[in-house]
Amino acid sequence: MANIALPAPRITDASGHYDLSILDNPRARSYYRRFDGILIIVLFSFLALGISIHYALTAGDWDYWIDWRDRRWWPLVTPLSLMMFIGGFVYPIWKAFRLPVIATAVTTLLCLVSWVSRYFNFGQFTDFPLSFTFPSTYIGLGVIFDSVLIMTRSLLISAIVGPFLFGALIWPLNWPLFAASKVPVEYSGTLVSVADLMGYQYIRTTTPEYLRIIEESTLRTFGGSVTPLTAVFSAFVAVIGYSLFLLLGAALYNFAGRYARRII
Amino acid sequence: MNTAKSRSPARYLGNALVLGVLVLLALPMEAVAHGERAQLASMRMRTLHWFDIEVSPVRVNVGDTIVITGKFIPSEFWPEQLPSVTDTAFLNVGAPGPKFIRVHSEVNGVPMIRSTAFEPGKLYEFKSVVRARVPGRYHIHPLLNVKDAGTLVGKGSWVEVEPSPTGEPFTNEITTLTGETVDLENVGLKSVIGWHLVWILVGVAFLAYWLAKPELFIPRYMRVRNLGPEQANTMITRRDFLAGGIFFTISMVLILAGYLWAEHKYPVTIPLQTGKVGVPGRPVPSGPLVVEVENANYELAGRSLTMRMKLANEGDSPIEIREFVTANIRFINGPAAAAGVVENEELVAGDSLHSSVSTIAPGQHVDVVLRAEDSLWETQRMTGLIHDPDSRFAGLLVYRDAEGKRYYQEVGGSILPKFF
Repeated sequence: MANIALPAPRITDASGHYDLSILDNPRARSYYRRFDGILIIVLFSFLALGISIHYALTAGDWDYWIDWRDRRWWPLVTPLSLMMFIGGFVYPIWKAFRLPVIATAVTTLLCLVSWVSRYFNFGQFTDFPLSFTFPSTYIGLGVIFDSVLIMTRSLLISAIVGPFLFGALIWPLNWPLFAASKVPVEYSGTLVSVADLMGYQYIRTTTPEYLRIIEESTLRTFGGSVTPLTAVFSAFVAVIGYSLFLLLGAALYNFAGRYARRII
Repeated sequence: MNTAKSRSPARYLGNALVLGVLVLLALPMEAVAHGERAQLASMRMRTLHWFDIEVSPVRVNVGDTIVITGKFIPSEFWPEQLPSVTDTAFLNVGAPGPKFIRVHSEVNGVPMIRSTAFEPGKLYEFKSVVRARVPGRYHIHPLLNVKDAGTLVGKGSWVEVEPSPTGEPFTNEITTLTGETVDLENVGLKSVIGWHLVWILVGVAFLAYWLAKPELFIPRYMRVRNLGPEQANTMITRRDFLAGGIFFTISMVLILAGYLWAEHKYPVTIPLQTGKVGVPGRPVPSGPLVVEVENANYELAGRSLTMRMKLANEGDSPIEIREFVTANIRFINGPAAAAGVVENEELVAGDSLHSSVSTIAPGQHVDVVLRAEDSLWETQRMTGLIHDPDSRFAGLLVYRDAEGKRYYQEVGGSILPKFF
C-alpha cells in the first residue's frame, strides 16, 4: 500500500517559525498543490454563495431590474454592499497568505452567479427579457481594488484608496451597459426612459412603480450635478463601510487565529 | 429474522413515504392560487369595491391585445390602521410574470404609467390593455398596489394564449425620442454581453495570475509566519507589483473607454422618471335612495350576511334592489343571467340576495331585511369574518329604477356573528 501520509509542517523554534525545508520536498509540494486546489474550490464556492445571498439581501432589486439602477441610489447602495462583504475577507486572506485576490474573486464570482440566476430564474423560468434584468458589472472595480493593495502593500492605504475608487468609478464602469436604457421615450403623453417603459410594460405584480427607491426631484441638487456628487459621496461611504468590515474581519481572524494556528 | 425485519415499523414508514411521494408526483395539480382569498375577510370587504370587471377577449394569439376594464370605489370604511389609497397606489395587472406586456393603462382617462392616489367614496373607471407574449393559460386580474398596505386583487378571469399563427417570435418595438426604433426584448443586450465578456476576461486573467502561482495557501502561510508582519510584504514581488500596475492601468483605460463609447453612442439620455400623477375621482351614482344600516349579522351555519336597514326613496321612480357586491362576490337578487354576467366571470351567486321588500315606491320609507346567502361565503374564506379582530363589514348595494338605470352606493357598519 502506497504511503499517502502528508509531510506535516514542523515548527522549529519557540517563536513559531516553520521549517521551510519541507517546501523543497517534491511530494510535499505536490500535496500542498492539491490542497490548494481543494481550498480554492471551497473558498470560491463559499464566496459565490455568500456574496449572492448577501447581495440579494442588501441590494437585490437595485441589481435585478434596469429601472431601479438610477444615478443616486444604485451607485450608493451597491458599492457599500460589496465593500461590506469584501472587507470581511480581505484582512484574513492578506494577513495569512498575502493574497490580494478577494475583491476580484468576489466581483467575478458575483458576475458569473448573477448571469446564471438571470438567465435561468428570470429568463427561462419567469420569462423576463435579459435586456431588463441583466446584471451590472463590478469586476473592473475589484481588479482596481486588489491592484491598489498589491501596489501599496498596505491595508491602511488600500482601505482608503481602494474603496474610494470602488465607489467613485461604479457609474462610469457600468455606463456602457446602462446608457441604452436611459434614452428618452414619449409614452401616453408622458416622458419616460427606455428602462422606465420596460418596468411599466413587463408586468411585475408585486413590484409596483412606487416601490422603486430611486432619485426624486429635490431642492438640494447642487446645480444638478447628481452623478459626480453621488460618486464622491458613494466613495466616502464605501471607505467607511469597508473600513468597518475590515476591522470586523480582523477581530474575527485574530480571535479564530489562536485556534487555527494550533491545527495548522 | 428476515420476516421480522420486513415488518418493522421503520420499513412500513419508509414504504409509506415513498408511496406518498410517488402519489404526489403522479398527481400534479395546476397552481391556481393567486392570493385572492388569503387576506382577512373584513379587509377584502372594506378596502376596495371592484365591480363591472371584464376581460376581453379571453382567447388570443401571441401578439394580440386583451382589454381589462372595470370600476372600483375605495371604501369609506377603510381601516384606519391600514395605510390608505389616499397616499400612494399603482394600478397593476395580476399575472404570472410577464406573460403579457402592458401597453396602456388609465383611470378616469388619466394614463397610469406612474403611481397615483385615490379618494375614498369616489368612483374610478379603469382600463388596462395588455399584449399576449407567452403561450399558455393564465388567470389574470386587475389589482391595485397600495403603498405600505399591500395588494388588493380584483376579480380574475382565465385567458388562453395560443402561439402566433405565423410562428414569429414576440417583438416589442418602440421609437425613442431620438428617432431610433428599438425592440425592448433585446435593447442594448449585445453591448451588455460584450462588455461583460471583456470584464470577465480581465477578472479571470487577474485571478489566474495569482492562483497559478506554485505556492498558495499552506506554503504562503508558512512563509508569512516565518517572515513576520514587517517582512511578509516582501512576498509581493516586483513582478507582482508590475502585474498589479498593468491590471490597474488596463482597468482604468477600459472604464474610460467604455464611458466615452457610451457617451458617443447615446448622447441624449435622461434620468429614471418617477413622481405621482393626479386622477380626479367621480361621484358615485347613488341615485335617490337614502340608506341607513341599523345592524348586521353573519350566520355561520347559514353562510349568510343579514343586514337590517332603513331605506328611503326620495326619487320619483320605484327602486328595486338588485345586487350586493363585497370582496369581489356578486350576490344577485334573481337569476345571474339577468344581471349582465360576462364570459368567464367568476364569483357570481345568482338568486342569493333576498330582500324583505321587493320594490321601494317613490317617497316610501321602509325597513328592509337584506340577506346575502351562498356557499361562496365558505369557499371564498369569508367565514373568517368572525375571527377578524375588527368585526366590521362593507359592500356595495346595487339597485335600479323603473327605467333600468343602475345606481349603487356603499353600505357598511358593525357586524355580529350568529354561531347557532
